[in-house]
Amino acid sequence: MHFSIGKTLTIINLSMMESTGPVVSPFAVETVGLTKRYPLTWKRKVLVALDQLDLQIRPGEVFGLLGPNGSGKSTTLKLLLGLIVPSDGEARVFGLPPDSLDARRRVGFLPENPYFYGFLNGDETLRFYGKLCGVTGPRLDRRIEELIELVGLQNGRERPLRSYSKGMLQRIGLAQALIHDPDLLFLDEPTAGVDPLGSAQIRDLILRLKKMGKTVVFSSHLLEQVQEVADRVAIFSLGKKVLEGSLESLLVENQSTQITLPAELGAEQQQRLREALGAAGIDGEIRFTRPHLSLEQLYLRTVQAQADPASTKPANK
Amino acid sequence: MISSLYRIVTIGRITLTEAVRQKVLSVLLIFSLVLVGSSVLVSQLATPGLDSAGLFDAQIKFVKDFGCGSIGLFGFAIALLSTAQLIPQELHNRTIYTILAKPVRRSEFLLGKFFGIVLLLALCVALMSLAFAATLYWQEMRGLQATEATYAQAPNWKANPLAVNAYNHDVQQIVQQVRDPQIIEAILLIFAKLIMTISIALLISTFATSSIFTIVTTFMIYLIGHMEGTARDFWLASGASSSIWQSSLVGFISLLIPDMNSFTIVDEILAGNKVPWAHALNLLGYADVYVIVLLAVSVVIFDYREI
Repeated sequence: MHFSIGKTLTIINLSMMESTGPVVSPFAVETVGLTKRYPLTWKRKVLVALDQLDLQIRPGEVFGLLGPNGSGKSTTLKLLLGLIVPSDGEARVFGLPPDSLDARRRVGFLPENPYFYGFLNGDETLRFYGKLCGVTGPRLDRRIEELIELVGLQNGRERPLRSYSKGMLQRIGLAQALIHDPDLLFLDEPTAGVDPLGSAQIRDLILRLKKMGKTVVFSSHLLEQVQEVADRVAIFSLGKKVLEGSLESLLVENQSTQITLPAELGAEQQQRLREALGAAGIDGEIRFTRPHLSLEQLYLRTVQAQADPASTKPANK
Repeated sequence: MISSLYRIVTIGRITLTEAVRQKVLSVLLIFSLVLVGSSVLVSQLATPGLDSAGLFDAQIKFVKDFGCGSIGLFGFAIALLSTAQLIPQELHNRTIYTILAKPVRRSEFLLGKFFGIVLLLALCVALMSLAFAATLYWQEMRGLQATEATYAQAPNWKANPLAVNAYNHDVQQIVQQVRDPQIIEAILLIFAKLIMTISIALLISTFATSSIFTIVTTFMIYLIGHMEGTARDFWLASGASSSIWQSSLVGFISLLIPDMNSFTIVDEILAGNKVPWAHALNLLGYADVYVIVLLAVSVVIFDYREI
């Protein structure tokens, strides 16, 4: 089971659909002072789910929303989809109000833990969502073929969704989000509850969507995965954005350099290297450590080697 | 406009498919078909001793009462149960998020759901009506056979013009009673009442947080709708003694809650009394207006609902 690589998706002609004319915006997503408050009438309190969020996401970026449960990530996504109304501030998607049909034509969404209609099979599910987006006839047939292949669900086409595993549900969820070939994808915890292999496949898919020029905004608890795919991240806490930036700017320790050597150094060699570095004017603490695989890399390497003995490399490394 | 209709139809179809595949509704429908079909047997138990020529009136009336009653009762159960869980189930399964994140208006979603359930109900009522028609046909056959058997007891009765006339009269009476076009009028009125029930349940489910709340509240409104006419007649009959407050209150309730009691005209039809089509069409028009108003209010409330 693997995703096909290098598949070009059909560009769907949206011009036949209703349109209010082009809106030019340099940002795929832009929010200014976006706030969501829920009045708790009985407790005479107000719950601030999201507080004064300013965000700008450029087209083609992969943007990660991080934070503990209840920190405002899902509220942000719901506001950006126009499913809830902001108490204050404004959100724009490609310069359009998020609840407008024109904005939604350019957006795909995968909710957290989706179930869909259990009585439909994979094909029927995609057909239903395609029709809602105005994709019909042979174009829809072609699109279903491409997406089924893209998300690797050939074995789930005829099976009702109620018999799907968690990973399969996430993948059909991704396929329905992509059915109308949107420019922007909102993925709420796309790897929640999925095993590491399925999770790695979803990560690969996000990377492939990035290569296709899609903008992807996703929330996740799996920090290592976010690190692997996101260009920029924002960390939320208690409804506020507390940190935002590119992974490069946030994670690199500018005050140190790491050298990887193709050999294990003995004590004597380490001492000689220290002396040489000292002679080059480098003072302070010099540490010698051996690089580690992450547990995920080890797991993927083992499982994939079992499934495909020809491949023993860690996944996507 | 066409793409909007297409989306409504797509959502309506999936709603119908989902409802059809629900076991509870299938069981209800099968049970109702069996009940409608068994009305002949029940009629014989309820009116023993009438199983002879020319004495089928009571049994046919019973079959009609029983059939229409079953259609109304099971239709009500199917309408209420399926409508009440429409939105809560979508929210629970999170399918509503994926649908409303697509280029779909909330009004289109709601109307699609409504028409899906109306279609389901139309299907159920059509099936129950078919079973009802088959039962009536069977009853007619039995009636005709029994009549012929009774006349056949007299030797050479066909040579007697008086006996033939009497026989023809009896046969005509049975056929007229069974093939009464007013039954179609009655079923249409029952269907209109069921669609009103769907509209009420849909309106409540746009702001309700659970199916139980929708079921209980719709049921209460349904009951009040039945009592409303009686209360209005009582208060208005008191004439000068009724205060302006009483009149206002009655007027307000009449606007807010549909007058379900008007539809008891179906009982008159089943009793054999002629109810003019103009009156039935008036009632159907009243139901139409009410359904449109309820749908409009539902759309406005659902538009503001945070999901």
